[in-house]
Amino acid sequence: MDAPDKNPSLLAGQTAHPTTQSAVASAAAPELIGLVTHEDVDRARDRWEVARARSKGGAKKFGGVRLLWLLVGPGVLVFLGENDAPSMLSYSADGSRYGVGFFIPFVVLTFIMGFIVQEMTVRLGAVTHRGHAELIFDRFGKFWGFFAMGDLIFGNFLTLVTEFIGVRAGLGFFGVRPAIAVGGALVIVVAAITTGRYWTWERITLSLAVFNGLFIPAAILARPDWHSVGHAMLTWMPFPGGGRYEILLLILATIGATVTPWMLFFQQSAVVDKGMQPRDINAGRFDTLLGALLASVFAIAAILATVPLFHHGINAADFQAAQFAEALEPLIGHTGAALFALGIFEAGIVAAIAISTSSAYAFGEVMQTGHSLNRPLRDAWPFYLTLFGSACAAAALVLIPHFPLEFVVLTVNVIAVLAMPPALAFLLLLVNDAEVMGEHVNGFWANVAGVAVTVLLIIAGLGFGLATVFPKWLGG
Amino acid sequence: MDSHYAEVPENQSALAPVDLPIDVKPEQLSLQDPRAVLSLLEADQVVAAKHRTHFGRMNLSFGTKTLLWALRVYVVAMMVIVLISVYQVIHAAH
Repeated sequence: MDAPDKNPSLLAGQTAHPTTQSAVASAAAPELIGLVTHEDVDRARDRWEVARARSKGGAKKFGGVRLLWLLVGPGVLVFLGENDAPSMLSYSADGSRYGVGFFIPFVVLTFIMGFIVQEMTVRLGAVTHRGHAELIFDRFGKFWGFFAMGDLIFGNFLTLVTEFIGVRAGLGFFGVRPAIAVGGALVIVVAAITTGRYWTWERITLSLAVFNGLFIPAAILARPDWHSVGHAMLTWMPFPGGGRYEILLLILATIGATVTPWMLFFQQSAVVDKGMQPRDINAGRFDTLLGALLASVFAIAAILATVPLFHHGINAADFQAAQFAEALEPLIGHTGAALFALGIFEAGIVAAIAISTSSAYAFGEVMQTGHSLNRPLRDAWPFYLTLFGSACAAAALVLIPHFPLEFVVLTVNVIAVLAMPPALAFLLLLVNDAEVMGEHVNGFWANVAGVAVTVLLIIAGLGFGLATVFPKWLGG
Repeated sequence: MDSHYAEVPENQSALAPVDLPIDVKPEQLSLQDPRAVLSLLEADQVVAAKHRTHFGRMNLSFGTKTLLWALRVYVVAMMVIVLISVYQVIHAAH
Protein backbone atom coordinates (compact mmCIF):
# COMPACT_ATOMS: atom_id res chain seq x y z
CA MET A 1 0.00 0.00 0.00
CA ASP A 2 2.74 2.44 0.91
CA ALA A 3 5.14 1.56 -1.86
CA PRO A 4 6.22 4.48 -4.00
CA ASP A 5 4.33 4.81 -7.25
CA LYS A 6 6.43 3.20 -9.96
CA ASN A 7 4.44 4.94 -12.65
CA PRO A 8 3.62 8.50 -11.57
CA SER A 9 0.39 9.52 -13.17
CA LEU A 10 1.32 12.87 -14.69
CA LEU A 11 4.34 11.49 -16.45
CA ALA A 12 2.57 8.36 -17.57
CA GLY A 13 0.22 10.30 -19.78
CA GLN A 14 -3.48 10.47 -19.18
CA THR A 15 -4.07 7.37 -17.10
CA ALA A 16 -4.49 7.63 -13.34
CA HIS A 17 -3.52 4.88 -10.92
CA PRO A 18 -4.31 4.30 -7.28
CA THR A 19 -1.41 5.65 -5.24
CA THR A 20 -0.66 6.76 -1.71
CA GLN A 21 2.47 8.62 -2.68
CA SER A 22 2.75 12.19 -1.41
CA ALA A 23 2.30 14.83 -4.09
CA VAL A 24 5.57 16.49 -3.16
CA ALA A 25 7.43 13.24 -3.69
CA SER A 26 5.89 12.52 -7.05
CA ALA A 27 7.68 13.13 -10.29
CA ALA A 28 5.02 15.67 -11.19
CA ALA A 29 5.78 17.83 -8.14
CA PRO A 30 7.73 20.56 -9.98
CA GLU A 31 4.79 20.98 -12.33
CA LEU A 32 2.18 20.87 -9.57
CA ILE A 33 3.97 23.38 -7.36
CA GLY A 34 2.83 26.25 -9.53
CA LEU A 35 -0.71 24.91 -9.78
CA VAL A 36 -1.75 24.68 -6.14
CA THR A 37 -5.27 26.05 -5.69
CA HIS A 38 -7.32 27.46 -2.84
CA GLU A 39 -9.11 24.09 -2.72
CA ASP A 40 -5.78 22.28 -2.26
CA VAL A 41 -4.75 24.63 0.55
CA ASP A 42 -8.00 24.13 2.45
CA ARG A 43 -7.77 20.36 2.01
CA ALA A 44 -4.12 20.39 3.13
CA ARG A 45 -5.16 22.31 6.27
CA ASP A 46 -7.69 19.57 7.07
CA ARG A 47 -5.07 16.90 6.42
CA TRP A 48 -2.68 18.70 8.74
CA GLU A 49 -5.22 18.52 11.55
CA VAL A 50 -5.68 14.80 10.87
CA ALA A 51 -1.93 14.25 10.79
CA ARG A 52 -1.49 15.98 14.15
CA ALA A 53 -4.32 14.02 15.73
CA ARG A 54 -2.92 10.77 14.37
CA SER A 55 0.59 11.62 15.53
CA LYS A 56 -0.52 12.58 19.04
CA GLY A 57 -3.28 10.03 19.25
CA GLY A 58 -1.26 7.51 21.22
CA ALA A 59 0.13 10.06 23.64
CA LYS A 60 -3.06 11.90 24.55
CA LYS A 61 -5.92 10.38 26.46
CA PHE A 62 -8.54 11.44 23.92
CA GLY A 63 -6.25 11.55 20.89
CA GLY A 64 -8.14 8.77 19.14
CA VAL A 65 -11.42 10.48 19.85
CA ARG A 66 -10.13 13.69 18.27
CA LEU A 67 -9.04 11.77 15.18
CA LEU A 68 -12.50 10.26 14.85
CA TRP A 69 -14.09 13.67 15.44
CA LEU A 70 -12.07 15.03 12.53
CA LEU A 71 -12.84 12.13 10.20
CA VAL A 72 -16.51 11.59 11.03
CA GLY A 73 -18.90 13.39 8.73
CA PRO A 74 -19.91 11.99 5.34
CA GLY A 75 -21.28 8.72 6.77
CA VAL A 76 -23.34 10.32 9.52
CA LEU A 77 -24.57 13.00 7.13
CA VAL A 78 -25.60 10.57 4.42
CA PHE A 79 -27.65 8.40 6.78
CA LEU A 80 -29.23 11.23 8.74
CA GLY A 81 -29.80 13.00 5.43
CA GLU A 82 -31.60 9.91 4.17
CA ASN A 83 -33.79 9.97 7.26
CA ASP A 84 -35.55 12.66 5.27
CA ALA A 85 -39.13 13.88 5.13
CA PRO A 86 -40.55 11.12 2.87
CA SER A 87 -38.55 8.50 4.80
CA MET A 88 -39.89 9.63 8.17
CA LEU A 89 -43.31 9.67 6.56
CA SER A 90 -42.82 6.06 5.43
CA TYR A 91 -41.75 5.03 8.93
CA SER A 92 -44.73 6.88 10.36
CA ALA A 93 -47.00 5.03 7.94
CA ASP A 94 -45.44 1.72 9.06
CA GLY A 95 -46.12 2.51 12.72
CA SER A 96 -49.59 3.95 12.31
CA ARG A 97 -50.91 1.19 10.04
CA TYR A 98 -49.28 -1.89 11.52
CA GLY A 99 -48.11 -0.96 15.02
CA VAL A 100 -45.11 -2.66 16.62
CA GLY A 101 -44.10 -5.73 14.65
CA PHE A 102 -42.42 -6.71 11.41
CA PHE A 103 -41.32 -3.23 10.37
CA ILE A 104 -39.12 -2.64 13.45
CA PRO A 105 -36.53 -5.35 12.61
CA PHE A 106 -37.10 -4.75 8.90
CA VAL A 107 -35.89 -1.16 9.31
CA VAL A 108 -32.74 -2.46 11.01
CA LEU A 109 -32.20 -4.82 8.06
CA THR A 110 -32.51 -1.95 5.58
CA PHE A 111 -29.85 0.02 7.48
CA ILE A 112 -27.54 -3.01 7.40
CA MET A 113 -28.08 -3.06 3.63
CA GLY A 114 -27.35 0.67 3.57
CA PHE A 115 -24.11 0.22 5.51
CA ILE A 116 -22.93 -2.54 3.15
CA VAL A 117 -23.22 -0.37 0.06
CA GLN A 118 -22.13 2.93 1.62
CA GLU A 119 -18.93 1.40 2.98
CA MET A 120 -17.93 0.71 -0.62
CA THR A 121 -18.26 4.39 -1.51
CA VAL A 122 -15.88 5.28 1.35
CA ARG A 123 -13.21 3.02 -0.13
CA LEU A 124 -13.82 4.27 -3.67
CA GLY A 125 -13.56 7.91 -2.61
CA ALA A 126 -10.54 7.52 -0.32
CA VAL A 127 -8.55 5.46 -2.83
CA THR A 128 -9.37 7.26 -6.10
CA HIS A 129 -10.04 10.82 -4.84
CA ARG A 130 -12.76 10.92 -7.49
CA GLY A 131 -16.49 11.33 -7.11
CA HIS A 132 -18.89 8.57 -8.13
CA ALA A 133 -20.17 10.32 -11.27
CA GLU A 134 -16.63 11.10 -12.42
CA LEU A 135 -15.56 7.48 -12.01
CA ILE A 136 -18.59 6.15 -13.87
CA PHE A 137 -17.88 8.50 -16.79
CA ASP A 138 -14.17 7.61 -16.75
CA ARG A 139 -14.61 3.85 -16.61
CA PHE A 140 -17.89 3.25 -18.47
CA GLY A 141 -17.92 6.20 -20.85
CA LYS A 142 -20.50 8.88 -21.56
CA PHE A 143 -23.19 6.53 -22.84
CA TRP A 144 -23.59 4.70 -19.55
CA GLY A 145 -22.59 7.75 -17.56
CA PHE A 146 -25.53 9.77 -18.82
CA PHE A 147 -27.93 6.95 -17.98
CA ALA A 148 -26.61 6.93 -14.41
CA MET A 149 -26.80 10.71 -14.23
CA GLY A 150 -30.33 10.72 -15.61
CA ASP A 151 -31.49 8.37 -12.84
CA LEU A 152 -29.69 10.47 -10.25
CA ILE A 153 -30.88 13.91 -11.33
CA PHE A 154 -34.49 12.77 -11.81
CA GLY A 155 -34.60 11.00 -8.45
CA ASN A 156 -32.76 13.81 -6.67
CA PHE A 157 -35.10 16.48 -7.94
CA LEU A 158 -38.23 14.57 -6.97
CA THR A 159 -36.74 13.86 -3.54
CA LEU A 160 -35.75 17.50 -3.12
CA VAL A 161 -39.35 18.50 -3.77
CA THR A 162 -40.49 16.18 -1.00
CA GLU A 163 -37.96 17.73 1.40
CA PHE A 164 -39.54 21.13 0.94
CA ILE A 165 -42.94 19.50 1.37
CA GLY A 166 -41.60 18.25 4.72
CA VAL A 167 -40.29 21.72 5.63
CA ARG A 168 -43.63 23.28 4.73
CA ALA A 169 -45.63 20.63 6.56
CA GLY A 170 -43.41 20.59 9.66
CA LEU A 171 -43.54 24.34 10.18
CA GLY A 172 -47.18 24.39 9.10
CA PHE A 173 -47.98 22.65 12.37
CA PHE A 174 -46.83 25.83 14.15
CA GLY A 175 -48.84 28.07 11.87
CA VAL A 176 -45.90 29.25 9.75
CA ARG A 177 -47.02 30.24 6.26
CA PRO A 178 -45.68 28.05 3.42
CA ALA A 179 -43.78 30.84 1.65
CA ILE A 180 -42.00 31.82 4.87
CA ALA A 181 -41.19 28.20 5.77
CA VAL A 182 -39.80 27.38 2.33
CA GLY A 183 -38.01 30.74 2.01
CA GLY A 184 -36.42 30.27 5.43
CA ALA A 185 -35.25 26.80 4.44
CA LEU A 186 -33.60 28.22 1.31
CA VAL A 187 -31.79 30.79 3.46
CA ILE A 188 -30.39 27.97 5.60
CA VAL A 189 -29.25 26.04 2.50
CA VAL A 190 -27.49 29.17 1.19
CA ALA A 191 -25.95 29.97 4.58
CA ALA A 192 -24.46 26.48 4.72
CA ILE A 193 -22.89 26.63 1.25
CA THR A 194 -21.53 30.16 1.34
CA THR A 195 -18.91 29.31 3.94
CA GLY A 196 -16.51 28.36 1.13
CA ARG A 197 -15.13 25.60 3.31
CA TYR A 198 -16.10 21.92 3.27
CA TRP A 199 -15.26 21.51 6.95
CA THR A 200 -17.54 24.39 8.05
CA TRP A 201 -20.37 23.20 5.79
CA GLU A 202 -20.05 19.69 7.17
CA ARG A 203 -20.14 20.82 10.82
CA ILE A 204 -23.12 23.15 10.25
CA THR A 205 -25.05 20.37 8.52
CA LEU A 206 -24.06 17.81 11.16
CA SER A 207 -25.25 20.12 13.93
CA LEU A 208 -28.61 20.41 12.17
CA ALA A 209 -28.74 16.66 11.55
CA VAL A 210 -28.45 15.90 15.26
CA PHE A 211 -32.01 17.17 15.63
CA ASN A 212 -33.19 14.05 13.79
CA GLY A 213 -33.05 12.72 17.33
CA LEU A 214 -36.21 14.71 18.13
CA PHE A 215 -38.13 11.58 17.20
CA ILE A 216 -36.74 9.87 20.32
CA PRO A 217 -38.52 12.07 22.90
CA ALA A 218 -41.61 11.98 20.66
CA ALA A 219 -41.46 8.17 20.81
CA ILE A 220 -40.98 8.17 24.59
CA LEU A 221 -44.01 10.42 24.98
CA ALA A 222 -45.98 7.84 22.98
CA ARG A 223 -45.21 5.37 25.81
CA PRO A 224 -44.21 2.37 23.70
CA ASP A 225 -44.64 -1.15 24.99
CA TRP A 226 -40.97 -2.11 25.20
CA HIS A 227 -41.81 -5.78 25.69
CA SER A 228 -43.59 -5.79 22.32
CA VAL A 229 -40.65 -3.96 20.74
CA GLY A 230 -38.23 -6.61 22.05
CA HIS A 231 -40.53 -9.40 20.88
CA ALA A 232 -40.80 -7.85 17.43
CA MET A 233 -37.03 -7.46 17.16
CA LEU A 234 -36.52 -11.13 17.94
CA THR A 235 -39.40 -12.69 16.03
CA TRP A 236 -40.24 -10.18 13.24
CA MET A 237 -43.84 -10.66 14.32
CA PRO A 238 -46.63 -9.84 14.10
CA PHE A 239 -46.45 -9.76 10.34
CA PRO A 240 -48.69 -7.01 8.91
CA GLY A 241 -52.15 -8.12 7.92
CA GLY A 242 -54.52 -6.63 5.37
CA GLY A 243 -53.95 -5.80 1.72
CA ARG A 244 -50.79 -7.44 0.44
CA TYR A 245 -50.30 -4.81 -2.25
CA GLU A 246 -50.33 -2.07 0.36
CA ILE A 247 -47.80 -4.00 2.47
CA LEU A 248 -45.56 -4.52 -0.54
CA LEU A 249 -45.71 -0.81 -1.33
CA LEU A 250 -44.76 0.07 2.25
CA ILE A 251 -41.93 -2.48 2.24
CA LEU A 252 -40.61 -0.89 -0.95
CA ALA A 253 -41.00 2.63 0.45
CA THR A 254 -39.22 1.56 3.66
CA ILE A 255 -36.28 0.15 1.68
CA GLY A 256 -36.27 3.35 -0.37
CA ALA A 257 -36.03 5.27 2.89
CA THR A 258 -32.57 3.81 3.47
CA VAL A 259 -30.96 2.70 0.22
CA THR A 260 -31.03 5.24 -2.60
CA PRO A 261 -28.78 6.33 -5.49
CA TRP A 262 -28.10 9.86 -4.19
CA MET A 263 -26.46 8.39 -1.10
CA LEU A 264 -23.81 6.63 -3.21
CA PHE A 265 -22.97 9.78 -5.15
CA PHE A 266 -23.07 12.04 -2.11
CA GLN A 267 -20.92 10.03 0.26
CA GLN A 268 -18.20 9.29 -2.26
CA SER A 269 -17.98 12.95 -3.31
CA ALA A 270 -18.03 14.10 0.33
CA VAL A 271 -15.23 11.66 1.20
CA VAL A 272 -13.20 13.16 -1.67
CA ASP A 273 -14.02 16.74 -0.68
CA LYS A 274 -13.06 15.99 2.92
CA GLY A 275 -9.69 14.81 1.59
CA MET A 276 -9.85 11.32 3.08
CA GLN A 277 -7.04 8.97 2.16
CA PRO A 278 -6.73 5.16 2.17
CA ARG A 279 -5.39 5.15 5.73
CA ASP A 280 -8.66 6.84 6.80
CA ILE A 281 -10.83 4.00 5.48
CA ASN A 282 -11.36 2.43 8.90
CA ALA A 283 -12.43 5.79 10.32
CA GLY A 284 -14.74 6.15 7.32
CA ARG A 285 -16.24 2.75 8.12
CA PHE A 286 -16.81 3.85 11.69
CA ASP A 287 -18.40 7.07 10.45
CA THR A 288 -20.73 5.08 8.18
CA LEU A 289 -21.60 2.59 10.91
CA LEU A 290 -22.30 5.41 13.36
CA GLY A 291 -24.56 7.09 10.82
CA ALA A 292 -26.44 3.84 10.15
CA LEU A 293 -26.87 3.18 13.88
CA LEU A 294 -28.11 6.67 14.69
CA ALA A 295 -30.44 6.75 11.71
CA SER A 296 -31.91 3.32 12.48
CA VAL A 297 -32.61 4.34 16.09
CA PHE A 298 -34.28 7.56 14.95
CA ALA A 299 -36.27 5.67 12.30
CA ILE A 300 -37.54 3.17 14.87
CA ALA A 301 -38.42 6.14 17.12
CA ALA A 302 -40.57 7.57 14.30
CA ILE A 303 -42.38 4.23 14.01
CA LEU A 304 -42.96 4.06 17.77
CA ALA A 305 -44.14 7.68 17.94
CA THR A 306 -46.99 6.92 15.54
CA VAL A 307 -48.03 3.55 16.99
CA PRO A 308 -50.78 5.24 19.13
CA LEU A 309 -52.60 6.01 15.86
CA PHE A 310 -52.66 2.26 15.16
CA HIS A 311 -53.99 1.46 18.66
CA HIS A 312 -56.75 4.05 18.31
CA GLY A 313 -57.73 2.77 14.87
CA ILE A 314 -57.05 6.12 13.18
CA ASN A 315 -56.76 5.65 9.44
CA ALA A 316 -53.47 7.23 8.40
CA ALA A 317 -53.55 5.90 4.84
CA ASP A 318 -53.55 9.33 3.22
CA PHE A 319 -51.74 11.28 5.92
CA GLN A 320 -49.04 13.76 5.08
CA ALA A 321 -46.42 14.99 7.51
CA ALA A 322 -48.38 17.75 9.26
CA GLN A 323 -51.45 15.55 9.52
CA PHE A 324 -49.46 12.96 11.45
CA ALA A 325 -48.47 15.60 14.01
CA GLU A 326 -52.01 16.94 14.26
CA ALA A 327 -53.48 13.46 14.68
CA LEU A 328 -50.87 12.61 17.32
CA GLU A 329 -51.55 15.71 19.43
CA PRO A 330 -54.52 14.32 21.40
CA LEU A 331 -52.70 11.00 21.88
CA ILE A 332 -49.15 11.98 22.87
CA GLY A 333 -49.71 15.61 23.85
CA HIS A 334 -48.80 18.94 22.28
CA THR A 335 -45.11 18.58 23.17
CA GLY A 336 -44.86 15.19 21.51
CA ALA A 337 -46.70 16.37 18.42
CA ALA A 338 -44.57 19.52 18.25
CA LEU A 339 -41.38 17.44 18.50
CA PHE A 340 -42.67 15.21 15.71
CA ALA A 341 -43.42 18.24 13.50
CA LEU A 342 -40.01 19.78 14.25
CA GLY A 343 -38.42 16.43 13.41
CA ILE A 344 -40.12 16.43 10.01
CA PHE A 345 -38.91 20.01 9.42
CA GLU A 346 -35.36 19.05 10.39
CA ALA A 347 -35.48 15.94 8.21
CA GLY A 348 -36.50 18.08 5.26
CA ILE A 349 -33.91 20.82 5.74
CA VAL A 350 -30.89 18.51 6.25
CA ALA A 351 -31.86 16.35 3.30
CA ALA A 352 -32.43 19.44 1.15
CA ILE A 353 -28.84 20.52 1.89
CA ALA A 354 -27.38 17.04 1.32
CA ILE A 355 -29.35 16.17 -1.82
CA SER A 356 -28.81 19.52 -3.56
CA THR A 357 -25.09 19.16 -2.76
CA SER A 358 -25.15 15.63 -4.21
CA SER A 359 -26.62 16.94 -7.48
CA ALA A 360 -24.07 19.75 -7.60
CA TYR A 361 -21.14 17.39 -6.99
CA ALA A 362 -22.32 15.08 -9.77
CA PHE A 363 -22.90 17.99 -12.17
CA GLY A 364 -19.44 19.43 -11.48
CA GLU A 365 -17.75 16.06 -11.88
CA VAL A 366 -19.45 15.35 -15.20
CA MET A 367 -18.95 18.85 -16.60
CA GLN A 368 -15.38 18.88 -15.27
CA THR A 369 -15.86 22.22 -13.57
CA GLY A 370 -14.91 23.01 -9.97
CA HIS A 371 -16.95 20.86 -7.62
CA SER A 372 -15.81 21.40 -4.08
CA LEU A 373 -17.24 23.18 -1.09
CA ASN A 374 -13.67 24.31 -0.46
CA ARG A 375 -13.86 26.52 -3.51
CA PRO A 376 -14.88 30.15 -3.27
CA LEU A 377 -18.09 31.13 -5.03
CA ARG A 378 -16.31 32.95 -7.86
CA ASP A 379 -14.16 29.91 -8.70
CA ALA A 380 -16.94 27.34 -8.81
CA TRP A 381 -20.08 29.29 -9.61
CA PRO A 382 -21.59 26.52 -11.85
CA PHE A 383 -21.30 24.12 -8.89
CA TYR A 384 -22.96 26.53 -6.47
CA LEU A 385 -25.51 27.61 -9.07
CA THR A 386 -26.55 23.97 -9.56
CA LEU A 387 -26.82 23.50 -5.82
CA PHE A 388 -28.83 26.64 -5.22
CA GLY A 389 -30.83 26.39 -8.47
CA SER A 390 -32.03 22.85 -7.81
CA ALA A 391 -33.07 23.84 -4.29
CA CYS A 392 -34.89 26.95 -5.57
CA ALA A 393 -36.73 25.03 -8.31
CA ALA A 394 -37.87 22.35 -5.86
CA ALA A 395 -38.95 24.98 -3.33
CA ALA A 396 -40.89 26.89 -5.98
CA LEU A 397 -42.80 23.77 -7.04
CA VAL A 398 -43.96 23.20 -3.48
CA LEU A 399 -45.48 26.69 -3.42
CA ILE A 400 -47.49 26.23 -6.62
CA PRO A 401 -51.18 26.04 -5.69
CA HIS A 402 -52.75 22.64 -6.41
CA PHE A 403 -49.37 21.05 -7.20
CA PRO A 404 -49.84 17.30 -6.66
CA LEU A 405 -47.66 17.04 -3.56
CA GLU A 406 -49.23 13.75 -2.57
CA PHE A 407 -48.28 12.27 -5.95
CA VAL A 408 -44.62 13.13 -5.46
CA VAL A 409 -44.41 11.93 -1.85
CA LEU A 410 -46.13 8.68 -2.78
CA THR A 411 -43.72 7.78 -5.53
CA VAL A 412 -40.36 9.19 -4.54
CA ASN A 413 -39.14 6.38 -2.28
CA VAL A 414 -40.47 3.72 -4.64
CA ILE A 415 -38.64 5.31 -7.57
CA ALA A 416 -35.47 5.41 -5.47
CA VAL A 417 -35.63 1.64 -4.90
CA LEU A 418 -36.40 0.88 -8.53
CA ALA A 419 -33.47 3.01 -9.74
CA MET A 420 -31.06 1.44 -7.27
CA PRO A 421 -30.06 -1.87 -8.99
CA PRO A 422 -28.25 -0.21 -11.92
CA ALA A 423 -26.53 2.17 -9.48
CA LEU A 424 -25.43 -0.83 -7.42
CA ALA A 425 -24.19 -2.60 -10.53
CA PHE A 426 -21.92 0.36 -11.34
CA LEU A 427 -20.79 0.48 -7.72
CA LEU A 428 -19.95 -3.22 -7.59
CA LEU A 429 -18.12 -3.13 -10.92
CA LEU A 430 -16.06 -0.14 -9.78
CA VAL A 431 -15.24 -1.50 -6.37
CA ASN A 432 -14.08 -4.77 -7.96
CA ASP A 433 -11.96 -2.93 -10.50
CA ALA A 434 -8.32 -3.54 -9.51
CA GLU A 435 -7.05 -0.81 -11.85
CA VAL A 436 -9.06 1.72 -9.84
CA MET A 437 -9.00 0.23 -6.36
CA GLY A 438 -5.59 -1.41 -6.17
CA GLU A 439 -5.47 -3.54 -3.05
CA HIS A 440 -8.75 -2.12 -1.76
CA VAL A 441 -10.93 -4.12 -4.17
CA ASN A 442 -13.94 -5.85 -2.70
CA GLY A 443 -13.36 -9.06 -0.83
CA PHE A 444 -15.48 -12.18 -1.31
CA TRP A 445 -17.96 -11.46 1.49
CA ALA A 446 -18.37 -7.82 0.53
CA ASN A 447 -19.31 -9.02 -2.96
CA VAL A 448 -21.73 -11.61 -1.58
CA ALA A 449 -23.38 -8.92 0.56
CA GLY A 450 -23.45 -6.38 -2.29
CA VAL A 451 -24.94 -8.86 -4.76
CA ALA A 452 -27.47 -10.02 -2.14
CA VAL A 453 -28.64 -6.43 -1.58
CA THR A 454 -28.95 -5.91 -5.34
CA VAL A 455 -30.90 -9.13 -5.87
CA LEU A 456 -33.19 -8.31 -2.94
CA LEU A 457 -33.97 -4.89 -4.41
CA ILE A 458 -34.67 -6.41 -7.84
CA ILE A 459 -36.98 -9.01 -6.30
CA ALA A 460 -38.81 -6.30 -4.31
CA GLY A 461 -39.15 -4.22 -7.47
CA LEU A 462 -40.42 -7.14 -9.56
CA GLY A 463 -42.87 -8.02 -6.80
CA PHE A 464 -44.17 -4.46 -6.86
CA GLY A 465 -44.42 -4.58 -10.65
CA LEU A 466 -46.33 -7.86 -10.71
CA ALA A 467 -48.65 -6.69 -7.95
CA THR A 468 -49.40 -3.51 -9.88
CA VAL A 469 -50.05 -5.19 -13.22
CA PHE A 470 -51.78 -8.26 -11.76
CA PRO A 471 -53.33 -6.98 -8.51
CA LYS A 472 -55.50 -10.06 -8.07
CA TRP A 473 -52.41 -12.23 -7.62
CA LEU A 474 -51.84 -10.59 -4.29
CA GLY A 475 -55.46 -10.19 -3.40
CA GLY A 476 -55.19 -6.45 -4.00
CA MET B 1 3.24 12.06 9.39
CA ASP B 2 0.11 11.71 7.38
CA SER B 3 1.52 11.64 3.90
CA HIS B 4 4.36 9.42 2.85
CA TYR B 5 6.85 12.04 1.85
CA ALA B 6 9.67 10.06 3.34
CA GLU B 7 9.36 7.71 0.39
CA VAL B 8 10.87 9.96 -2.23
CA PRO B 9 11.58 7.93 -5.31
CA GLU B 10 14.98 8.17 -6.83
CA ASN B 11 13.78 10.64 -9.34
CA GLN B 12 15.61 13.89 -9.82
CA SER B 13 12.46 15.76 -10.73
CA ALA B 14 10.83 15.10 -7.37
CA LEU B 15 11.05 17.95 -4.89
CA ALA B 16 12.63 17.63 -1.51
CA PRO B 17 9.82 17.27 1.01
CA VAL B 18 9.07 19.98 3.51
CA ASP B 19 9.68 18.66 6.97
CA LEU B 20 6.59 19.92 8.78
CA PRO B 21 6.99 19.82 12.57
CA ILE B 22 3.92 18.15 14.00
CA ASP B 23 3.74 20.59 16.93
CA VAL B 24 2.89 23.50 14.69
CA LYS B 25 -0.70 24.61 15.07
CA PRO B 26 -2.75 24.78 11.88
CA GLU B 27 -3.08 28.55 12.13
CA GLN B 28 0.70 28.85 12.33
CA LEU B 29 1.24 26.46 9.48
CA SER B 30 2.62 28.19 6.44
CA LEU B 31 0.45 26.86 3.70
CA GLN B 32 1.69 29.76 1.62
CA ASP B 33 4.48 27.37 0.70
CA PRO B 34 3.10 25.11 -2.04
CA ARG B 35 5.55 22.40 -1.05
CA ALA B 36 3.94 22.26 2.38
CA VAL B 37 0.54 21.84 0.72
CA LEU B 38 1.83 19.12 -1.58
CA SER B 39 3.46 17.36 1.38
CA LEU B 40 0.05 16.91 2.96
CA LEU B 41 -1.78 15.66 -0.13
CA GLU B 42 -1.43 12.47 -2.09
CA ALA B 43 -0.14 12.70 -5.64
CA ASP B 44 -3.54 12.22 -7.24
CA GLN B 45 -5.34 14.35 -4.66
CA VAL B 46 -4.11 17.66 -6.02
CA VAL B 47 -6.74 19.39 -8.14
CA ALA B 48 -4.40 20.05 -11.07
CA ALA B 49 -3.29 16.41 -11.13
CA LYS B 50 -6.89 15.22 -11.13
CA HIS B 51 -7.74 17.52 -14.03
CA ARG B 52 -4.93 16.13 -16.12
CA THR B 53 -5.31 12.46 -15.46
CA HIS B 54 -8.25 10.14 -15.80
CA PHE B 55 -8.87 6.49 -15.23
CA GLY B 56 -9.17 5.02 -18.70
CA ARG B 57 -12.21 3.22 -20.08
CA MET B 58 -12.90 -0.21 -18.68
CA ASN B 59 -13.17 -3.06 -21.16
CA LEU B 60 -16.77 -4.13 -20.80
CA SER B 61 -17.25 -7.81 -21.45
CA PHE B 62 -20.31 -9.14 -23.25
CA GLY B 63 -21.68 -10.33 -19.90
CA THR B 64 -21.20 -6.91 -18.30
CA LYS B 65 -22.87 -5.12 -21.20
CA THR B 66 -25.77 -7.57 -21.08
CA LEU B 67 -26.15 -6.97 -17.34
CA LEU B 68 -26.13 -3.19 -17.76
CA TRP B 69 -28.68 -3.34 -20.59
CA ALA B 70 -30.90 -5.73 -18.64
CA LEU B 71 -30.87 -3.36 -15.66
CA ARG B 72 -31.60 -0.40 -17.93
CA VAL B 73 -34.63 -2.21 -19.37
CA TYR B 74 -35.65 -3.10 -15.81
CA VAL B 75 -35.59 0.56 -14.73
CA VAL B 76 -37.58 1.74 -17.75
CA ALA B 77 -40.17 -1.02 -17.28
CA MET B 78 -40.45 -0.22 -13.58
CA MET B 79 -40.95 3.49 -14.26
CA VAL B 80 -43.85 2.60 -16.55
CA ILE B 81 -45.28 0.47 -13.75
CA VAL B 82 -44.87 3.36 -11.28
CA LEU B 83 -46.90 5.53 -13.64
CA ILE B 84 -49.58 2.81 -13.83
CA SER B 85 -49.56 2.55 -10.05
CA VAL B 86 -49.90 6.29 -9.54
CA TYR B 87 -52.72 6.41 -12.09
CA GLN B 88 -54.50 3.61 -10.22
CA VAL B 89 -54.11 5.39 -6.87
CA ILE B 90 -55.31 8.74 -8.21
CA HIS B 91 -58.15 7.07 -10.11
CA ALA B 92 -59.22 5.19 -6.96
CA ALA B 93 -59.08 8.41 -4.90
CA HIS B 94 -61.48 10.15 -7.25
